Amino acid sequence: MTNPVIENIRRSLGCTDQIPLSLRPAIYKSRLPESVDSEIERFLGEIKKLSGVSQRISPSGIADALKALVAEQQIQKATVWDSPYLKRLGVAHSLQTLGMELVSPNANEHEMAQCDLGITEADYLLPETGTLVLRSSAEKPRGVSLLPRVHLAIVRPEMLRADMHQVFAEAKDSHYLVFITGPSRTADIELTVTLGVHGPKNLYVWIVEE
Amino acid sequence: MSHDAHPYIGFEEYSERVPQSIPLAVQQATDRFVGGRAARVAELPQWEELRQIGSDIRLHTIENMDVYLTRLEEKVKLAGGHVHWAETAEDARRIVLQIAKAHNVKTAVKSKSMATEEIGLNHALGAAGIEALETDLGEYIIQLAGTGPSHIIVPAVHLKKEEIAALFSERLDINAPADPIELARIAREILREKFLGAEMGISGGNFLVAETGTLVMVTNEGNGRMCTTLPDLHVAVVGIDKVIPDWESLTVFLKLLARSATGQKLSTYTQFITGPRRAEGEFGPKEFHLVLLDNGRSKVLKDPVGREVFKCIRCGACANVCPVYKNVGGFAYGWFISGPIGAILSPQMLGTQTARELPYASTLCGACADVCPVKIPIPAILRHLRRRVAQGDEFAGPTLPAPIRVTASIAAFALAQNRLYRFGTRLLPLLMSIFKRGDWIPNAPYPLNRWTKARPLPPFTAQFRGWWNVRSSKRKDSTR
Repeated sequence: MTNPVIENIRRSLGCTDQIPLSLRPAIYKSRLPESVDSEIERFLGEIKKLSGVSQRISPSGIADALKALVAEQQIQKATVWDSPYLKRLGVAHSLQTLGMELVSPNANEHEMAQCDLGITEADYLLPETGTLVLRSSAEKPRGVSLLPRVHLAIVRPEMLRADMHQVFAEAKDSHYLVFITGPSRTADIELTVTLGVHGPKNLYVWIVEE
Repeated sequence: MSHDAHPYIGFEEYSERVPQSIPLAVQQATDRFVGGRAARVAELPQWEELRQIGSDIRLHTIENMDVYLTRLEEKVKLAGGHVHWAETAEDARRIVLQIAKAHNVKTAVKSKSMATEEIGLNHALGAAGIEALETDLGEYIIQLAGTGPSHIIVPAVHLKKEEIAALFSERLDINAPADPIELARIAREILREKFLGAEMGISGGNFLVAETGTLVMVTNEGNGRMCTTLPDLHVAVVGIDKVIPDWESLTVFLKLLARSATGQKLSTYTQFITGPRRAEGEFGPKEFHLVLLDNGRSKVLKDPVGREVFKCIRCGACANVCPVYKNVGGFAYGWFISGPIGAILSPQMLGTQTARELPYASTLCGACADVCPVKIPIPAILRHLRRRVAQGDEFAGPTLPAPIRVTASIAAFALAQNRLYRFGTRLLPLLMSIFKRGDWIPNAPYPLNRWTKARPLPPFTAQFRGWWNVRSSKRKDSTR
């Protein structure tokens, strides 16, 4: 089945029926990874350059770090991805202990928008650009990294990939992916950089080393 | 189907009316972006190689656009999305309006999109009683102001914070301070309510990946994510030239785009959307529609020189370095796209009658081609379009009077023939001596008087060929 637009294109290009497609030009090779330690440092360093806050942390340090974050950002309501790893770290439990009101990550957008803090993992990390790559599912809803004013991603070194090539090879069949590179920003008024214009104003990234 | 007749673009007239504040503001923006781009490019030793690959892939895609678009359609449908083909701007508006009406849409939130500017969608939605709200901060400001964009990336850069504060105070009935951070906060609050209430999200797209039927959107503020995450309905209007073969190709363009545009390594948010949401609680639209916009593009493909304009990934780097653009800003180009890329796109899409001044809106200095991340030969296309304007093409008759065209054709023919050329070099000085007054020719006969109206013509005095022969024989003598 064909349509007028495709027919017009064929006529303009002078296509005579079904010429086999020539090969797509070859792509430049991907970046090579360095040692895990320097990849972590590069990743965290890039996030800092983008006005994000990043640190290395151990599983036992999570509770204290959450306590400090809640105080610093005056968090009252929070929402957390319902993922096995965040459960194992006891993130939601720690927040409850701190007296936070927890909102379900599958709550409707109006409730989600009332949250001060959204906590996610990341499926992949790109050290060269300081990028978090997030998939989407009922367990990992998109709103958690978007609607609250503070976004915290708790990630692991295993998620580091050298380049986009590796991420795409693994994830291109996902129905939704988002690259997050720093907090929401604009320079639309007199070129003044302003954070948090629509998305989160503050981005925290903790990389957990066992 | 009627073709939208675009009013004549009087670049010269527009550029004379540009207020002095615009070039100043535009130059602040362009200087920032030029500096940022240079820093990012310096970090990547393989930059030139990436540009070449980017150019090769785009050219390959243009030459096989029918194949990749067919694959794209198949994959989007497979992912549960709807695909609509719009031959004209009118078709595209009708399709979007039908979708909106079928879903009882009252408010639509829009992420910045050049395709919807191109088809004048906001006006059509407004006329149908649907509120269409721009949500990119700069676009929101100029929508309130009711003007067009002055720069592709920072559309409201020509407005001072005091002017924006006055605009907010008047249009939103609030007391807005002249502080960029406060103004952004006010916009965030107002637009947040709109995002949460809107029934439809409208976006454009940076790339369409044929391999999986994926829409790729690049934004910095997060409004693009809001528009495609919160409403239950997402409609993307994208030009057919945005298709690329596969995800491997995408790595190249994502590395080129933000570095060339804003001097970032990557923009803040890059989304890869393949069809609607799969699960109830994950957010995202229940329905996804892709409107593939032709609006004259398929006809432009006929011209093998001009069609390289579709390699463009809309970074704006060419405008940032253009001495003409920096002095007139975006308005003077008269359509949704400005700068050198606008000067080669508009005449091809709107016709060389409507946009015949634009190929001349350039000094041909070549800075645009030096920075273009996909190596579009902009000066060569400008010259090609000047020829089309002068000699006439399918859109318009020749703009040059017949005697000049005849003279130019004779000159072109004679210069290409060795004997005729030699004869001419002997004949011309004789002809010139008739008009010589002292050392100059002050008044040449028609049609050559176009030159002498502005300045006198120096007569030919030496013959290179004769001089060369004499010189060569002397050198032979001396080396003997």
